[in-house]
Amino acid sequence: MSDCPNGDVRDALPDYLHGRLDAARRREVESHLASCPTCRAELSLLRDLRDTVRHAPAVDAVAIASAIPPYRAPVRRAWSNGWRVAAALVAIAVGGTSIVVVRSRGREAPTELAASVRAATASPRDSQRIAATQRRSEMAAPARPTPVDVSRPAVETGELAMATGAIGELSDRELSALVEGLESLDGLPPTEVEALEPVSVGAQEGL
Amino acid sequence: MTYAAPTTDERTDLDLVSRWKAGDQRAATVLVERHAAAVSRFVASIGARAEVEEVVQDTFVRAFASIDGFRAESTLRTWLFTIARRLVLDRRRSARRRGEQVEVQEADVATEYDALDGVVADETRVRLRRAMAALTPTQREVFVLRVSEGLSYREIADAVDTTEGAARVHYHNAMRAIKEFLDE
Repeated sequence: MSDCPNGDVRDALPDYLHGRLDAARRREVESHLASCPTCRAELSLLRDLRDTVRHAPAVDAVAIASAIPPYRAPVRRAWSNGWRVAAALVAIAVGGTSIVVVRSRGREAPTELAASVRAATASPRDSQRIAATQRRSEMAAPARPTPVDVSRPAVETGELAMATGAIGELSDRELSALVEGLESLDGLPPTEVEALEPVSVGAQEGL
Repeated sequence: MTYAAPTTDERTDLDLVSRWKAGDQRAATVLVERHAAAVSRFVASIGARAEVEEVVQDTFVRAFASIDGFRAESTLRTWLFTIARRLVLDRRRSARRRGEQVEVQEADVATEYDALDGVVADETRVRLRRAMAALTPTQREVFVLRVSEGLSYREIADAVDTTEGAARVHYHNAMRAIKEFLDE
C-alpha cells in the first residue's frame, strides 16, 4: 500500500475518524478523500485497526468504583501557621537589624570619605568657606541628629547600630532559645498536603 | 491542526469530579464506567494484558486519590492513560528486579488477544493484530492512542512522556510498518 504525498491530510485522518476536526478542516479532508483513492484506502485501514484494538478485556466498573475511597480535602495544620508567624517575626527582627547596620555604614562611610578628601585637598581659605557652609547647613536643619564623629571607624558605627537593634537587647539565655528555635525550623512538616504522585517517576523506556 | 472545541464529555468529566469531591460517590462510579474500557484497551495494548483488571483498578484509585493534582490541562482520560502507563512500567521494573521475564513476545500478543477475548477472529483481523504486535513498544503505544482513542499528538506526548514531534514520527513510522507487514 502506497502513501499519498499529501502528508497534511494523512496526518489528519485519525482525527477525522474520531470526529475531532472542526467543520472547515473536516470539509478540506473530505474534499481530498473524494479525489484520492490512496487516502480512502488508508482511512479504511485505520477504521479496521481501530475496530481490532477495540476488543479489550472487560473490567468490572462497579468493583473498581467501590475501591475508591471518599474524597478527602487537603488540610492545613493550625500549629504550622504559628510557626510561620514565629519565623516571620524572627526574619523581621534579623532583617531589620541588618538594614540598620547596612544603612549606617552606607550613610557614614561616604561622609567620612568626603570629609577626608576635602580635608586633604582644601586650602586654608577653602577650609574657612567649608566651615561657614557647614554652620549654615546646621542652622537650616536644626532637627537633624548630631553627625557621627567621623574620626571613629565605620565598623564602630555598625556595632553601635547592632547593639541598639532588637537582637542586641536579648539576654544570652533568650538568644540561645532563639537560635534553638531557628535550628528547629528545618524540621517543620510541610504546610500543604502534597498531591499523591500516582507512581514513582524514573527511567521508563524499555517497554 | 484545527480541532473541534472541548466536547460535552470533557465538561461532564469535570462536573463529575466536582460532584465526587462534594461527596457524591456515585459520580466516581460514573467516571469509572466512562473511562474504564478505554484504559483497559490501552493497558492491554501495551502488553500488560494478564493484569489489566488490577492495573485499571489501581489507575482509578490513584487518580482519585490525587485528583487535586489534575489541572484539567489535558482531558481526564489522557491523565488516566498517563497514570496507567506509569503503573505498567513500574510493574515491569519490579518484575525485572525480581529477575522475572518481562519481554512481551510479539506473536503471543496477537494470539493472546484472540484467546482472551473469545473472539472468533477472521484472517484479516488476525493479520492486523500481528501487524500491530510487530511494532516497537513505543510505536504501539502511540499508534493505539492515536487510532483507537483518537488522541491528538499533544495529548499523546503528555500521556507517554515525549514530545509532540516525536509522537508524530512514531505514528507515521508505525503506519508505514503496518502497511509493509500487510504487503508481505
